Amino acid sequence: MIEVHVNQDIALPHGFSEYVIESERDLDLTFSGSGKCQAFIRIRKCPNLRIRTFTDAGADISYLFWNDSDTPITADESHEVMADASLKIAYGECNHAETKRNVWVALRQNGAYALVSSATLAEDKKNTRMEVVNYAPHTVGEMKNFAVVLKGGNFFIDAIGKIVKGAYASQSHQTSRALCFEEGQNSEIIPELLIDENDVQASHAMSIGRMDDEQLYYLQSRGLSMRQSIMLMSTGYLMPITEFIDDEGLKERLKSEMEEKIARL
Amino acid sequence: MKSLMIKDLHVEIEGREILKGVNLTVNENEVHALMGPNGNGKSTLLAAIMGHPKYVVTQGEIEYDGKNILEMPVEERSKAGLFLAMQYPQEIPGVTNSDFLRAAMNVRRERPIPLFSFIREMERTIKELDMKEDLAHRFVNEGFSGGEKKRNEIVQMKLLKPSLSMLDEIDSGLDVDALKIVAGAINKQRQETGMSLIIVSHYERFYELIEPEFTHVLVDGKILLEGDAELARKIDTEGYDWIYKEYGITPERKEEKPVPVSIGTCAVRETVEKAVGK
Repeated sequence: MIEVHVNQDIALPHGFSEYVIESERDLDLTFSGSGKCQAFIRIRKCPNLRIRTFTDAGADISYLFWNDSDTPITADESHEVMADASLKIAYGECNHAETKRNVWVALRQNGAYALVSSATLAEDKKNTRMEVVNYAPHTVGEMKNFAVVLKGGNFFIDAIGKIVKGAYASQSHQTSRALCFEEGQNSEIIPELLIDENDVQASHAMSIGRMDDEQLYYLQSRGLSMRQSIMLMSTGYLMPITEFIDDEGLKERLKSEMEEKIARL
Repeated sequence: MKSLMIKDLHVEIEGREILKGVNLTVNENEVHALMGPNGNGKSTLLAAIMGHPKYVVTQGEIEYDGKNILEMPVEERSKAGLFLAMQYPQEIPGVTNSDFLRAAMNVRRERPIPLFSFIREMERTIKELDMKEDLAHRFVNEGFSGGEKKRNEIVQMKLLKPSLSMLDEIDSGLDVDALKIVAGAINKQRQETGMSLIIVSHYERFYELIEPEFTHVLVDGKILLEGDAELARKIDTEGYDWIYKEYGITPERKEEKPVPVSIGTCAVRETVEKAVGK
């Protein structure tokens, strides 16, 4: 585990590596990698966090950003993906503090792939803008966002898939789902597809709302109480993010952290 | 002995009375066929026993195992041993079958079922119902075919081991082979656990496989006729007309549903017709 307290350029080693960001001041970090790398980045504290990543041609890189901060964070990120490279980014946002995040991903060269995904347990303001831009032909961008919004939560996501002219045979797909259980919360999802090329595939799916009464009745008719049903649904929405990085020890740790959070619902 | 006792049950949905005084007793290890023309209250009766929030009991009693279940929330009725295999099972995206079933099994146990035992039991049941192996990892009923949904209800019944199961047209949507598999699984569970059954089905074929000892015919919210298995057979071959005749009943004509029209088109036509002075 590497502690990060100052501005740094970090070259990811092959395989799994782990970082903890903790700073009372703003930070500016750059990550870059080639080959197959998986990074787990726990954010303890940092008021303004600027992150840049570079995914080299042919590389296969995954980042899991785990927000553990109990103070507000504003993150501004840009990610560059080169030819035939794969970039996967996931955000675990299950902390009890405000987050404002602006993510920009550029699929810069042929064959680039990017996935941006998030799992949010919103009890505070969680405001995200994410934009994945296909700049080159044969590129694929995906966004998958899942949120459980609780009382006091204010969940907002603006997910933009953009394919520029000339980026033919490209794809842009996105899914966003928010589950809300109680009064006194606010959820908003804006799915956007901005397409300036004919030969493309694009899709978006979005759902937002309470658990349906009929679904609840179905779960209850099998013996689950309202609270148990809510926990079960939340587990289904949030738990998959703990499997994002291929490291058994980490998976176990995140799983028990998440279980603890869901058990408190 | 666990018995279900229903006395003078009246049930409303959205202010309309559907059940108008139903009496029914189901003892342990008994199989009852519930028949009757569509729209006469069969599903309503099962839903009211299970406790669907839309069905309001305005009069009467339901007791199971000596307890007044009308005072129990839905999940408590389930834990008391009641199970309803639904006509239209819900889809729950985001929740896998295995997480769902494990949670449902654990609420009726003192200690959670060990993961390994659960997987073994689930796999065995999936095999018994001849379902695809990936069932455990799929979201509850999402993207299932009609027949798969029905079989998944029976998978749940097998794992939750109720003492009284109500099957609401579980056989519709099943092909002949699947019907045999489902009936076989139900019969096996009856032998193993002494589970009693209330079965709603329109088809004699299913009753031949499960062999009900009692038949009840529900017409216009009341049980009009009761008998043994022979009655179910007679209804299958002759329909309900002879019952109407014998009891001097004129079946209620269902209201004609208005044909949906596009308001836009009508408004335009009306305006035009007015303008030309028709």
